Amino acid sequence: MKNSVDPFTVEVIRHALTAAAEEMSFVVMRSARSPLLREAGDLSSAITDHKGDLIAQGRDIPIHLGVMSFTVKKFLERVPAERMQPGDVWFLNLPEVGGNHLPDVKAIRPIFLEGRLFAFAVSLAHWGDIGGAWAGSYFAAATETWQEGVRIPPLRLVTADGIDEEKRDFLLANLRGPAEREGDLLAQVASTRAAEARLVRLCEEHGAATIRAALDRLDDLSEAQMREAIAGLPDGIYEGEDFLDDDGPGGKPAAIRVRIEIAGDRASFDFSDTDDAVAGPLNTTPFVAMAAVYYAIKAVAGPEIQPNGGCYRALKVRTRPGSILEPGIDKPVVGGNHETSQRAVDAIMKAFEQAVPERLTAGGSTTAGLLIFGGKRRDGATGTFYETHGGGEGARADRDGLPVVRVHLTNTMNTPAEIVEAEYMIRVDEQRLRAGSGGAGRHRGGEGMVRTYTVLGDGLSLTTMFERRVVAPYGLQGGEDGAPFRVTLHRAGTSRELSGKENLALAVGDRVVMETSGGGGYGKA
Amino acid sequence: MPDNGWQVGIDIGGTFTDLVALLPATGEFRSIKVPTERNDPVASIKAALAAAGLKASEVDDLIHGTTLVTNAIVEDRVEPVALVATRGFEDVLEIGRAGRQHLYRLDLPPRRTSQVPAERRIGLAERVDHAGHAVLVPDAAAIAEVVRLAKASGVESVAVSLLHSYANPGHERAVGAALKAVIPFVSLSHEVNPETREFERTATTVLNASVMPIAARYLDQLQREVASTRLHVMHSAGGMASPEVAARRPLSMALSGPAAGISAAAHVAASLGLKKALSFDMGGTTTDVCLIVNGAAEISTDSKLAGRPVRQPMVAVESIGAGGGSLVTLGTGGLSIGPESAGAEPGPAAYGRGGTRPTVTDANAVLGYLDTTRRLGGAITLDVAAAETSLAPLARQLGIGVVELALGIQRVANATMVRALARVTVERGVDGRQCTLLAFGGAGPMHAARLAREFGIGEIVVPRFSSGFSALGCIVADMSYTQQQAVRMLSPQWDAGRFTVLHDSMLAALMEPLHAQGHRSEAIAIERTALVRYVGQSYAVEVPFAAPLDLERLGRDFRQRHREIYGYATEEHWEMQSLRMRALVARKPEFAELAGPGAMPSPTSVGPCWFEPAAPHQTPRYDRDLLPVGVRLAGPAVVEDAWSTVIVPPGYVLGADAMGHLWIKEG
Repeated sequence: MKNSVDPFTVEVIRHALTAAAEEMSFVVMRSARSPLLREAGDLSSAITDHKGDLIAQGRDIPIHLGVMSFTVKKFLERVPAERMQPGDVWFLNLPEVGGNHLPDVKAIRPIFLEGRLFAFAVSLAHWGDIGGAWAGSYFAAATETWQEGVRIPPLRLVTADGIDEEKRDFLLANLRGPAEREGDLLAQVASTRAAEARLVRLCEEHGAATIRAALDRLDDLSEAQMREAIAGLPDGIYEGEDFLDDDGPGGKPAAIRVRIEIAGDRASFDFSDTDDAVAGPLNTTPFVAMAAVYYAIKAVAGPEIQPNGGCYRALKVRTRPGSILEPGIDKPVVGGNHETSQRAVDAIMKAFEQAVPERLTAGGSTTAGLLIFGGKRRDGATGTFYETHGGGEGARADRDGLPVVRVHLTNTMNTPAEIVEAEYMIRVDEQRLRAGSGGAGRHRGGEGMVRTYTVLGDGLSLTTMFERRVVAPYGLQGGEDGAPFRVTLHRAGTSRELSGKENLALAVGDRVVMETSGGGGYGKA
Repeated sequence: MPDNGWQVGIDIGGTFTDLVALLPATGEFRSIKVPTERNDPVASIKAALAAAGLKASEVDDLIHGTTLVTNAIVEDRVEPVALVATRGFEDVLEIGRAGRQHLYRLDLPPRRTSQVPAERRIGLAERVDHAGHAVLVPDAAAIAEVVRLAKASGVESVAVSLLHSYANPGHERAVGAALKAVIPFVSLSHEVNPETREFERTATTVLNASVMPIAARYLDQLQREVASTRLHVMHSAGGMASPEVAARRPLSMALSGPAAGISAAAHVAASLGLKKALSFDMGGTTTDVCLIVNGAAEISTDSKLAGRPVRQPMVAVESIGAGGGSLVTLGTGGLSIGPESAGAEPGPAAYGRGGTRPTVTDANAVLGYLDTTRRLGGAITLDVAAAETSLAPLARQLGIGVVELALGIQRVANATMVRALARVTVERGVDGRQCTLLAFGGAGPMHAARLAREFGIGEIVVPRFSSGFSALGCIVADMSYTQQQAVRMLSPQWDAGRFTVLHDSMLAALMEPLHAQGHRSEAIAIERTALVRYVGQSYAVEVPFAAPLDLERLGRDFRQRHREIYGYATEEHWEMQSLRMRALVARKPEFAELAGPGAMPSPTSVGPCWFEPAAPHQTPRYDRDLLPVGVRLAGPAVVEDAWSTVIVPPGYVLGADAMGHLWIKEG
């Protein structure tokens, strides 16, 4: 029966499924409560088949999109398909269940067509707080996963009869800002319901067998395209390394190393030489390493290839147990999700500099540039203001880098100053380009940004989680590095540069000056 | 005012200028199409009037939709602007929201660059907080320096956008007054877009400033040339506005062209009593769809044009880059349609003007839908062989026949359109399958039946004047003005006094231009929409309400809408984020009914057409103008007028009503 479906039906089904995934993100963004989702868009949506292979994804955040297929596959190892019922929505956040870090909570709805399990709708949303030692759930001093928040194994929170209030209340009792979290949770449930409605409608039209045949064909098509894209890279072995700023509080830089082998239409990525797991929360999971590879190969070789299960058949990824990229389940990982993952991408890009430099951008502001202000909002409720800060994009062989943009694995947006000031006891004093921060070169790296916050209320706390403070964004082909990241705390006439991983209490009148990194230049000036 | 002359609607398109004119006293109408005079819209208007045999002195009202502002923005031919911003926020446009448009493309810049270069960004030391309290009042010297710098920048037009000006416009007003003394055009953000989020407000204000000189020059010239008639322009929210208002707020014309077509669709939907309709306007390079509920087009205030935010009330049209002239390619991911287009020159291969790459129109030609003996508008002769040749290489690659490929192209084209239909309905919580499809534009009626089936729609209307529909939209549009303003009031802390002040001042501002045109208050209807959300949400749900405001009822209606759109609602507090009001003077033009049932004409020709499943059908073609009222025509059939082709596939039935609308249903 395979490939019996005509190419036009395939295209019709592809459009419908992509539209369904995009609709999921729309529903979360429009109806969620925390600014992290509704303003910054720190969420993603995907639809997988009954085995967990990706069928369709929204236009969201590459790091999320890369792990979601693993989430479903690992989820299926824990929860056999026989236990799933129409109307279920399962929640989970364990990094070892195909995950990335505890705050990214996944809602998974099994979708039944013609009476059989056919697909899963997965809504991933970054919850502004998942409990643990510090508001916002980024505990800089964490040495084990249990300090980082509530660990949710697959939990059937919703059934056809509605939400299980006891489970919900147990969960919310362990989180700061429960009202915000509940709104976010309901938005995720609603988004998976929307996907289900779309698939049911599609099935009425075409029947499950035709949809399945179309999916097989799309898988084969993507595989063929990916193989062709890889074949377009020169054969060889390319090595690259990039560094985390430190391997723990006050430590030295830690290396992420990759050895890429391109042989015909196959590519393998071996991270075995990466340093051992670090003391703090900058470790990550093998799934995140794979998401980094998926992103990088698409960006370098085949940006328009439809991502699905077939797309990645030609790729092999290896990580070493005990390393930063496969640290074991007890290790803290909260920052690794968006910092170490970017290091893996940068290591890959540096390796590809030996093969196809003209296709790459120089090092950009590849860090979340995260500040979390915890405490009371203006309306008195507990809330966390979680803000990622964009910096300069690296230059390319044919153009300058853009200023202040999200680079590679992330694509969150900033929160407008007017929203920050209306909702939190914080004033944004300025937000301007950081002049001269882009690296010089034949083409210049993009400028970073300066944003200054003044604390107006008592009892606020601050978390930093950023990289590129010590190891600056690199230039390519002789271009100069961009300026490194810098965050300075001004308090009562004194000032202190903050490290990239800190938790501290703030006082009224404190000023936090954020200077984001510039992009690296390309070519000798 | 004398109201016994002609009402004239004119739509200036890229290739043709359409005119529809109505003499209300008798119901007499005229419609005409003339070639557009490139780069001279005023000449096009005069040519259309002359071709219709109308003198300016016989015309009471001349309403026109213009793509002047749209094209200036899309083609980046806008005027340079200086920006005055709160000191420390001068780079707001450069920073934007920091997102990028493509996830995986390193070859493309991640987003458009700022419209205002660094040397024309001017900072003012001032501050207002989120609640509207003045924290730092700008002194006279600072304002004078801003004016000096603006003047020195050499631009004609200046945008002023200060933080939190929606909550307290005092500082913007002070700067604006000083600037207006020396600068011809000034746009203030609290007037253009009094809503929160500084990037979007500033971008909208700057865009307005950058088209102001263009719009002012054009409207001025037009008023001089057609001095004896009352002149109006279509605005993006589907109503008409006076030239004075349009010149002050030219960005309100950003969707003037599409809004005219949607205005006509709304008029037809209302006159037919359709509860929910989807307008489907398929042209050469793009297709526009819009949801129409109870005879009114849905409005959006959060759109983008050419990658730039435009926060103005506009018809909530979803535009996709696929039309009759869109190129068909077999590339990564399979067969795709558009966004690249064969354009007007050379056009599809079937037009025989040197095009060789396959388009949607070529597929239609291969399927026999286009009559080779007729000349489209007398301008184009069809060349089916050229269409077949253009499709042949793709067919070979796929190992199928040309006809099979052509049918496939239709399906893929329809699938892209279905996504647009889904988007406009899903975002409003409407089941699209309950809508009637209103198909117009050059290619709309050709694709309507298949598209409707694909989306699950059962009823299609191809309205009268379907090929000059935008011009019709101009004369059936209400005279209306729309304004939206941030409110931000919580249900448990409702300040009825403040709300009344806000409401009444908005109302006065909306009524002013209508009063100035001589309309009495009794003739003006007001529509009120609250934008409501739960505390902590960013995006609001639109809830219509009547004055005086009943809070209890508003809360109830909000929860119901929230449930319709998102599938859930809670009993939490809500917040009115913004208030939108529309003041309108309704116009009810009456068209004479067509003559009663007559004889069924003979087909103009009979020839093979292909439909799914692929098999040729001997298909008769009829002249639309000769079809009698009350006719029932079973598919397959083709109905043609000078400008467009209606396809009735096998299994469908076409009817014609006394108003000249064609109805297509599965039979």
